Amino acid sequence: MAVNPREAQTATLQPPPTTVPLPETAGEPVRQTSLWRDALRRYMRNKAAVGSAIMFVIIVLYCFLIPGFWFVPGIWTTLFDIDPNDVNFADVRLPPSLEHPFGTDQFGRDLFTRVAAGGQISIGIGFAATIAILVVGVAYGSIAGFVGGRTDNAMMRFLDALYGLPYLPFAIIALAIVGTVNFWTMVIALTIASWFTAARIVRGQVITLKQNDYVRAAHAVGARWYRVLTRHLLPNTLGILIIAMFLELPTVILGEAFLSFIGLGINPPDASWGSLASEAREAYRTHPADLWIPCLFIAALVLCANFIADGLRDALDPRTKEG
Amino acid sequence: MAAFIIRRVVWTIPVILLVILMIFLMMRQIEGNPFRRTERAVPPQVQANLERKFNLDKPVWQQYLLYVKGVFTLDLGPSLILRDRSVMDIIKEHFPRSVKLGVLAFLWAIVFGIPAGILAALRPNTLYDYSLMFFSSIGFALPSFFIATLLIYYFALKVNVFPTNGWPLGFWDIDSKVILPSFALGLFPMAYFARLVRGTMLETMQQDYVRTARAKGLRWKSIVTRHVFRNSLIPVVTATAPLFGLIITGTFVIEVIFSIPGIGRYFVASVSNRDYSVVMGITVLTSIVVIIANLIVDITYGFLDPRTRTTKA
Repeated sequence: MAVNPREAQTATLQPPPTTVPLPETAGEPVRQTSLWRDALRRYMRNKAAVGSAIMFVIIVLYCFLIPGFWFVPGIWTTLFDIDPNDVNFADVRLPPSLEHPFGTDQFGRDLFTRVAAGGQISIGIGFAATIAILVVGVAYGSIAGFVGGRTDNAMMRFLDALYGLPYLPFAIIALAIVGTVNFWTMVIALTIASWFTAARIVRGQVITLKQNDYVRAAHAVGARWYRVLTRHLLPNTLGILIIAMFLELPTVILGEAFLSFIGLGINPPDASWGSLASEAREAYRTHPADLWIPCLFIAALVLCANFIADGLRDALDPRTKEG
Repeated sequence: MAAFIIRRVVWTIPVILLVILMIFLMMRQIEGNPFRRTERAVPPQVQANLERKFNLDKPVWQQYLLYVKGVFTLDLGPSLILRDRSVMDIIKEHFPRSVKLGVLAFLWAIVFGIPAGILAALRPNTLYDYSLMFFSSIGFALPSFFIATLLIYYFALKVNVFPTNGWPLGFWDIDSKVILPSFALGLFPMAYFARLVRGTMLETMQQDYVRTARAKGLRWKSIVTRHVFRNSLIPVVTATAPLFGLIITGTFVIEVIFSIPGIGRYFVASVSNRDYSVVMGITVLTSIVVIIANLIVDITYGFLDPRTRTTKA
């Protein structure tokens, strides 16, 4: 996209990066440090965050490569040709082996692929709902923050009213409205029940940014409101949104697990980590590993997301880091 | 201060009306007429009578107003499944049990979470601090149903120290059977409080007024009790409001696992039975409880921190 000279001019009005650029070596051209490269450098210094990111990627790869994309019809890129929902009564409750690394369940289904398939649903719902929450939150929050005044007041009062309401009953009612429980209805239900925080964050950020000189400058040189919003305000909320995404992800994944665990979520034969845990709970006395595995995956993912969010906050928003 | 309280209380009324409206409209969106579930063909006159009895023949806004009136007169209508019981009867029977569970869980969080956080903040970067942060991360990450299952298995089944069969039904009946469920429910708030208190205490201890207090030679003990505690426990009060919602959400799962006949388990059963008037009644009730908890927290906050009285309605 061609850069409008006006935009280029306003861009120079942005405050210079607060961090000291990398020391240049003699002879080499001056290395340009962008905001994102700086952030990456700061992120890489945080060992826990880097380790969590690697772990996160490994879990996601395991879930999405092992059973293939079976929930997207037509794509079947499987490494192990095992259907996670395939029943085989000859191999009921096998202990872990090379062929079945996590053993099999009471219907002889291979748990290694089943946990991965459940992870696809859990992670998929987690990401889809988080993104939906952010989209709704950005729309609502940026309108409230940008328009300001009475509109903002009314919209925030509405949020205050919804804030802190127990989300599980609302998600359950939302599921009852849609009628059937599947991947996308779970996403909708969890989104309806928990978009408030994101809207608040975006609105706060937009209001803070609105007072910056470069936004005033953009207004002064005659930029339209949508241009100011999309070119100056929203890109600057991106950092906070990425952090919010990794903070929201654990809540959504746990929410899905709760719903599936009490039997109001994903229906058999499909699985999510919550429903796998729910199935395994009945046989905990004889097969404790069946419960431990999906729960440890949930815990690992939640922990990783938290550490990643911490690392991102230090990387993208260095001012908040103290001591 | 009085004006602040009055403003805040008056503001709660439209909020409650709005939340009831939302729940009401959501429930109306659910497909299917509750009286046409059976195979039997109901004669049209009976159908009409039923609809009249449940006010379904009136326009929606009248239904809403009637429902709001019902909420304020504590009459939430009859249950759709148990024909001889009203929603209010069911709530009266089951809700106190959940309240007991929630209060006990909160006690765990306050009695153990807050002191743990304070100790960690007074000894930052020590072994104690690190191990506390490690355990609170676990309390955050592990789903409560997993912890609950492990607790039942190891403490009730293997070593029969804390039996879980038979929840004491009376509100004031408390015996060893309440320990495991309330602990499982309280673990998350406990971890949350510990982290929050540690964070806010560390932040407060870096403030200028703490440095001033040290500079003028006050003893560290009195600085902590007089200056640090008061300022760093305020955010804890604010954080309790969303925790109410979380604890209510938690009771749904914990009650199902421990077979506690509380409101959460009844709600889950009602959703499966399509007993919509009960579902709606319980949702309205929990929402109002949370809204009132928010109100109380805000007013407490106003007492603790005079700055908020003027800025926030």
